Amino acid sequence: MKTDFKKIAKDGVISSNPTLKLVLGTCPTLALTTAAMNGIGMGLAVTFVLIFSNVIISLMRKAIPKEVRIPAFILIIATFVTIVRLALDYFLPDIYESLGLYLPLIVVNCIILARAESFASKNGVLASAADGLFMGVGFTTALTLMGTVREILGSGAIFGHKLWDFSIGFFSSSAGAFFTYAVFIALFALITDKCSEKSKHKKANDKIKENA
Amino acid sequence: MENNLIYSSSPHIKAKRTTRNIMIDVCIALIPATVMGIVYFGAYALLLVALSVLSAVAGEYIYLLIMKKPLREITREFDFSSVVSGMLIGITIGTNYPWYSPIFGSLFAVIVVKMLFGGTGKNVVNPAIAGRVFMFISFQWAVGAWLLPNLGSVYGETVISSATAVVDTSSGIVPKLSVLDMLLGTGMQGCIGETCKLALLAGGIYLAVRKVINLIFPLIYIALEGLTTVAIYGIDFALFLPSILSGGLILGAIFMATDYTTTPNTRLGNIIYFIALGILTAVLRFATNMETVSFAILLMNLTVPLIDKFILNRPFGYKKQIKTKGENK
Repeated sequence: MKTDFKKIAKDGVISSNPTLKLVLGTCPTLALTTAAMNGIGMGLAVTFVLIFSNVIISLMRKAIPKEVRIPAFILIIATFVTIVRLALDYFLPDIYESLGLYLPLIVVNCIILARAESFASKNGVLASAADGLFMGVGFTTALTLMGTVREILGSGAIFGHKLWDFSIGFFSSSAGAFFTYAVFIALFALITDKCSEKSKHKKANDKIKENA
Repeated sequence: MENNLIYSSSPHIKAKRTTRNIMIDVCIALIPATVMGIVYFGAYALLLVALSVLSAVAGEYIYLLIMKKPLREITREFDFSSVVSGMLIGITIGTNYPWYSPIFGSLFAVIVVKMLFGGTGKNVVNPAIAGRVFMFISFQWAVGAWLLPNLGSVYGETVISSATAVVDTSSGIVPKLSVLDMLLGTGMQGCIGETCKLALLAGGIYLAVRKVINLIFPLIYIALEGLTTVAIYGIDFALFLPSILSGGLILGAIFMATDYTTTPNTRLGNIIYFIALGILTAVLRFATNMETVSFAILLMNLTVPLIDKFILNRPFGYKKQIKTKGENK
């Protein structure tokens, strides 16, 4: 069976972007996007766990009985989360500090469980790995963009470098997190809707030309 | 023949009151407090209020233009509620705020809190309150010390220390200002429009005479706040007047808590709402040691749908079924 990597990539980053389209994993999205660096750190940690848990679950999909699949998935995910935690604690203690409680909470991140349940347990190893990678890319991009906007507006800085003394404290608060998130979802929906409309028109035009 | 009949759905009885002339009444009622604020705090106060009103109105126009509404229609349907929001936002900040804060506050209030939810009458919380809280959270870093008004205390006393003159809770003593000073706002630090209580009360009475608001409900709020403060500090009635005359309580009670959209629909619901508001304000003031009127109103605004859900009006003509002893078998 040939896997359509292009479709997996488009699904992961755009048409079912975990943060902006599926609204999964909202807890780290809202809590950690006060700074762009946090977004990247969290995004990469989740991407790592997502790829490897998808691969392992895909490999074991025929061995895991249906009745106990959720505990089995959690066990596999928790293993990789532990690896990420220990590695970050040793190599990047700063990021480990700033992610804090949200790092172990990756275990219950809905994105990972959702991909395990709906994709990895039904598809081959390569496809699952690609799905994990692109879902992770979609998540990381969304978190980093939100983190950048909130950092610029909320603390007048970008990636920790001070830009100016002006800041709107609202955007660093949790109310600002919800507000920014909502604006991002709305803008993303606007852009993707416009694009899909355009491509539909294009396809229709092409068909007319072919027929003519 | 048939064409001469007018078909319309209820209500069939119409009054001359429109949203626009109610809002203009509120604007008129706010004028004394605003003028006194400008007298006390100088030209900078005028600048803050003007910027706030202008940006509130501009925000509404910009939003409607983006929504592709024709300009003439916007002007015809303009209901002055954004002018009210702008005025309230302008007078609920002190002259220690940076000049750009009312612009952000008004734009947030009008565009995010009001227009995004569907315009006047559909907002979940009062736009002016939300705008004030937005400025309070956002520009804390730029806010300096409270500035003194141009007019000193009537009795020539030294100036009080506590910000917005909430009863000095840490030591439990009454501030040094006399009750008369607190009523007139002379020698009192605070936000532009909240220090002169007399002007606010005059506005409140005007609104009550014009039947825009029912003065009972703000009075319930103010009285309950005072009584709760008295109770918290061990039944000390000397605190009653200073407590209700300090901070933004009267401004909030008359102009902000009474917003039609964010108060319950029924009389009983309103009584519960304003009692809870009074107790919440006093308790929050005691707990946080700062002015909490706006936060209390914001929180209580969110409970209004809940109150409306559980307290319903008796339908017209409905009679309560009287239980007789014989039925209870």
